[in-house]
Amino acid sequence: MPSKTQTESPDTETLRDRFFATGDASQLQAGRSEIVDSVVASAWNDFLAPAFPAGMALLAVGGYGRQDLFPHSDVDLLLLVEKRPAGAGKEALSAFLRAMWDSALRLSHSVRTPKECCELHDENVELNISLLDERFLVGDRALYETLQERSPRFLHGQRQTLIRHLCELTRPRHAKYQNTIYHLEPNIKETPGGLRDLHLLWWLNKLRDDPLVASEWLNGLKPSQDFLSTLRCFLHYRSDRDDNALSFDAQEEFTEQQFLPFEEPEAWMRHYFFHARAVSRAALRAMDASEGQNSSLLKGFRQWRTRLSNAEFTVSRERVFFKSPKTIPYDPELVMRLFQFVGRHGFKLALESERRIAEHYTVIEEHYKKRAPHWAAVLETLALPNAYKALTAMHETGVIRAVFPEWKRIECLVVRDFYHRYTVDEHSLLAIKSLEDLKKAEQPARQRFADLLSEVEEPALLGLTLMFHDVGKGEGDGSHAARSVTFAEEAMDRIQLPPRKRNLVRFLIERHLDLSAAMSARDLDDPATARMLAESVGTVEKLRCLTLITYADVSAVNPTAMSPWRLEQLWMLYLATYNELTRELDTDRIHESRTDSPEKARFLEGFPRRYLRTHSEEDVDQHLELDREREESGVGVQIVRRNGVYDLVIVCKDRPYLLASVAGTLASFGLNIVKAEAFANAEGIILDTFAFEDPARNLELNPSEIERLEFTLERVALGKLRARNLLKTRRTPPPPSKGGRIPPRVSVNQDASDRATLIELIAEDRPGLLYQVTRAISEAECDIRLVLIETEAHKAIDVIYVTRDGKKLSNETAGALKRAMLEAGKIE
Amino acid sequence: MKKIEAIIQPFKLEEVKDALVGIGIDGMTITEVRGHGRQKGHKEVYRGQEYVVDLLPKVKVELVVTEARCEEVTGALAAAARTGKIGDGKIFVLEVAEAIRIRNDDRDEVAL
Repeated sequence: MPSKTQTESPDTETLRDRFFATGDASQLQAGRSEIVDSVVASAWNDFLAPAFPAGMALLAVGGYGRQDLFPHSDVDLLLLVEKRPAGAGKEALSAFLRAMWDSALRLSHSVRTPKECCELHDENVELNISLLDERFLVGDRALYETLQERSPRFLHGQRQTLIRHLCELTRPRHAKYQNTIYHLEPNIKETPGGLRDLHLLWWLNKLRDDPLVASEWLNGLKPSQDFLSTLRCFLHYRSDRDDNALSFDAQEEFTEQQFLPFEEPEAWMRHYFFHARAVSRAALRAMDASEGQNSSLLKGFRQWRTRLSNAEFTVSRERVFFKSPKTIPYDPELVMRLFQFVGRHGFKLALESERRIAEHYTVIEEHYKKRAPHWAAVLETLALPNAYKALTAMHETGVIRAVFPEWKRIECLVVRDFYHRYTVDEHSLLAIKSLEDLKKAEQPARQRFADLLSEVEEPALLGLTLMFHDVGKGEGDGSHAARSVTFAEEAMDRIQLPPRKRNLVRFLIERHLDLSAAMSARDLDDPATARMLAESVGTVEKLRCLTLITYADVSAVNPTAMSPWRLEQLWMLYLATYNELTRELDTDRIHESRTDSPEKARFLEGFPRRYLRTHSEEDVDQHLELDREREESGVGVQIVRRNGVYDLVIVCKDRPYLLASVAGTLASFGLNIVKAEAFANAEGIILDTFAFEDPARNLELNPSEIERLEFTLERVALGKLRARNLLKTRRTPPPPSKGGRIPPRVSVNQDASDRATLIELIAEDRPGLLYQVTRAISEAECDIRLVLIETEAHKAIDVIYVTRDGKKLSNETAGALKRAMLEAGKIE
Repeated sequence: MKKIEAIIQPFKLEEVKDALVGIGIDGMTITEVRGHGRQKGHKEVYRGQEYVVDLLPKVKVELVVTEARCEEVTGALAAAARTGKIGDGKIFVLEVAEAIRIRNDDRDEVAL
């Protein structure tokens, strides 16, 4: 809430106006410190000076001590006393604190004697650390001088303990943010690479005994500090409180600031990531170096690794060093051999090695400008067991863009669509990592892909593909895949990749979205889908490669993008296309010569052939069992969990809006439908199947909920309960930002299937969306054959196979339906 | 102004507190309470005899926030208190007519 002094004091107002005019945080911070200094001084004069002519001094500590006060930062004050105040002194102290409080400063204070300041507070190390930034404000200077005498001795003696504590405080903070700087809505103070990491560097710097090394950590970080500080000041003013979360809405508003020379949030967020990456790396290195200083046991243990050292490189404490870095200018290829060493053994680069590379970066860049590496060397690197680590090291030292200048285009490039978690460069590296991790896969669902990988002729080409598959992102309209191919061609020219390998890489980059597109928007059981893909891939080897590229690409979008459902879909798609290519018939799906009982024959009579093709003999028997239930109670309902999703089958007499009602019921339980299908037999019995996910694990954790769901579905199917009423109680979650609204789009495709019209709807996801959409279709007297649902963050992509009287829709009907669906998908 | 009352699982208190502090809420009242909702009680065996524990221990968190922040706060609270199991608790939102700081008679939002 707005504080009194901050709104009334003209100085504060001026500071604010000046900040919004220039974006200069340091001026604001210094100004605010001055204002607080004067508030403290006046309260001191009014309350404490009369009671403590001597024996008390006020010290600014923490951010206030550094004169690093943001608009709504806490004000940390240390009341240094000779002895604990009592009686009138205590009264005066209370009055002082009350006055500070009423001036609406967020005050954090502590009262200590110099002796207490120089004791280690294991439980509250923050106190010891805040003293690193102390600044004398007012009071007994002689008392302050006693602290100044004691403090350096104390800090020197406890240096290692404090460093250890600092690192111990930092690691869980980083872990809380998954140890990554890549958050779409980062907390710019606490996330790795945030302002807290800069403070950490500042403190470690003060605690180190070799100031030369220490100050190097902070070197070059001034622009990052300025940038982050400006952002934080803005966030504080924007929310009128100590808010450090850079939400999507905040990003949009920051873009509108006149001092910012960028028009789009993506553009300056790219800078944010550049800065955060620089800070985060510096912090990790500094922690590494500081902690490593004193652990002789660990040192001894790690030292044995040095036997891996060779003529050119030494390994010490799991870090790789150059043996004679001075030769880099004469032999720049040494650097490439260093990365190969990393890729072979999986160690990280030593800080020292990174520095040497930085020192000779121009030489390295010039070298590769003249003489691109030969393809054999590139593929050799990509084939190493720890290729991901080698590439990451190349990326971090910038060598990757010296070798492949195409990488400059995607460095820290932000894809701001709420679904992609990582910047494009990080995404490409993580994709390579996800293939590498496949070799260690334990789940059977992933092992299938590991087997596939082992069958690929030259896996290194997959790595090369992944490195370049997204370099075309970030500019121009239309597909980025085609642009990526153009850039990859230049690189492949330079490394002289042989034509056959080149064709494969070109093909893979060009088509790297095909399988994902089919997975989300095509009926995988429709022979037309497999036919189309088989035609486009041509050979089994290409299919294998494309499947693995898709696996890697989707896995690296965000940690949950490769859901069990998608994993299964990808495998099904691979199988269907593989069978189409090799013409191996999937025998257990064809029931040509069944010897059916009359009951079964009657049940199956009139079901489309597709039903038999997509269900096993066992499925059919179970459905028959459900039909018997239906004869008794009017409806048969079955829910089974398999492959990470739930399968629901409902058998009942046809009635209007049945599919819509069931969809609505599932939505009212907070379940996400991923696929829905409807079949009808000659007797007018409807068999609807749904596959759905349970994102809140509600059914898994509360087994009784499955019964409740079944019971509710039965009543809905019988028309005793209206889905609309169930949905009333569910609220629509707000979209991630105002700018993130998704207006509905509908497209009609008459060619993708032999039997049905495909309607694709892209709309903002909300509970009951499918309910409204399918209602609209029923109202238009069309039949839903199949619904495929994909959600990317809060964007829903529904593909619906629709028929009318068993045939494709006429263009007229399709047009009318399109309008009705646009209406249904409208944002409320 | 809105008053938010949340009944949560006792072991979730720390997480809820952290989440609220994390979005800049620093004032709240915590009470240990007992009660039951749809979760009812559970049976326990004590010295060989079965008896029904029908009032379960819970923690009540109360706080008053400005209208504008209510949604954000309930969202953060629910996310932190959720395990997905029955018994996670409930959140109630009430209208607050007036707030007064006793010490200096500050009124309404300034008094929060």
